[in-house]
Amino acid sequence: MESRFRIFLLTVVLATLPGCATVRGWFHHKPAPASAQAEDDNAPPPRVVDPEVARRKITVPKVRSRNVEVGLNYGVLSIEDFGTHPQYGVTAAYHITEDFFFRAEAGRATAGETSFETLSGTQLLTGSERHFTYYDLSLGYNFLPGEAFIGRGRAMTSAFYIIGGIGGVDFAGDTKFSVNFGAGYRVVPTDWLTVFIEVQDRTFQSNLLGSDKLTNNIEAAIGTTVFF
Amino acid sequence: MVRRAHQLALAGLLLLAALLAPTVSAAREYLQLFVTEPYLELHTGPGRGYPVFHVVPRDASIDVLFRRTDWFKVRTEQGVEGWAAQRDMLKMVLADGSTFKFDVGDRNGFTSHRWEMGMFAGQYGSSTEVSGYMSFSLNSQLALEGAVAQFFGTYSNGVTGDLGFAHVIVPEARWSPFLTIGVGLVHTQPKSTLVASADRTEQSAYVGGGVRFYLTRRFFLRAEYRSHVIFTKRNENEVEDEWKAGFAFFF
Repeated sequence: MESRFRIFLLTVVLATLPGCATVRGWFHHKPAPASAQAEDDNAPPPRVVDPEVARRKITVPKVRSRNVEVGLNYGVLSIEDFGTHPQYGVTAAYHITEDFFFRAEAGRATAGETSFETLSGTQLLTGSERHFTYYDLSLGYNFLPGEAFIGRGRAMTSAFYIIGGIGGVDFAGDTKFSVNFGAGYRVVPTDWLTVFIEVQDRTFQSNLLGSDKLTNNIEAAIGTTVFF
Repeated sequence: MVRRAHQLALAGLLLLAALLAPTVSAAREYLQLFVTEPYLELHTGPGRGYPVFHVVPRDASIDVLFRRTDWFKVRTEQGVEGWAAQRDMLKMVLADGSTFKFDVGDRNGFTSHRWEMGMFAGQYGSSTEVSGYMSFSLNSQLALEGAVAQFFGTYSNGVTGDLGFAHVIVPEARWSPFLTIGVGLVHTQPKSTLVASADRTEQSAYVGGGVRFYLTRRFFLRAEYRSHVIFTKRNENEVEDEWKAGFAFFF
């Protein structure tokens, strides 16, 4: 019985002794020296992983501009006093805004005979003088934008436009200053292709038949252009 | 007839080349942008009058196919293609989060741009004149300019070509004056009813000045005066005044 008590007390003492050894720490919470802390901050942080990041240079693809339109047209030109004849031409346009475009145009038709020539049998002009060659620089304005529909599943954007400009007409051995104005309708079936019909009047002063007069030369044409 | 056939063949070839051009350029890589606004509206055509037919939600991406005037043709992730307005596009971001920047062609563009082009009506000596010009800016003040003109007179017609420099004095001003100097060629075709009716080509030099007025977007008006000295083969040189006014645009 006595030995049991001894064993119990011995166990209690053994169990508490290591705990008492920590008593000093219970009451003395000594902060770490400030200077040592500062030294730690200044020191470079330990490198756990050495990052090998290659910065990727992002190249931004340039957005392509498609404002230039180049095309051909074919139609009829009514040359005052000289009848109506086929004409063909080339156009190049630059679209400045959604509303305005700048257009250069050149074309040619070959004049027929005046009624005087037909009746009298004489010729007023030689062969090459009958070429009616024109060019102009014009400003166009798009209006009434809309869509044209073909069948159930196909819509094409479209617009009317008015156009006016100045240029020159080479006809009957002389080159004259001309003023042109007209209107057209343009359909855009794909992003890069357009189809248009257009009517224009090209006026210039002519003294070919004796007196000076303003001639009106009306042209109706159908054409196609490609956007670049 | 053979000449006509040649012209037609040439025209045909040009058209073919034009038709092939879009297919060649189709293999390019497109710019990808992300929507940051609540949505991006897509129109059926490149203009404010064309209706909105589709919206792209926030954070979705689009490919920018090409641009026409102030509109961008874009393709969504689902493959829907439509036109987005420039002002909406400028609110979008690139893949790295930076905003999409683009030369919008406003007043700032008027101050600093590369190219300009325009057309004039005017008076060359006593003749009516039609003229076009193109200019390349070396910096915001100095530009290299080329101009061609055709004049229609009572006694002679002709063509002129000029090449020279233009110095814009105050490029940032809305009314922006400039000075020009350069050299050129004048080809004169006297009317056949006159004596000494041979065509002639003579060298010339010019000095002049004018003013540009910024209208809107990429547009401006331009009016100018040039004094041309034509170096004739006769004893005296000719001096011709040229007055012209017209509109121009920059890009």
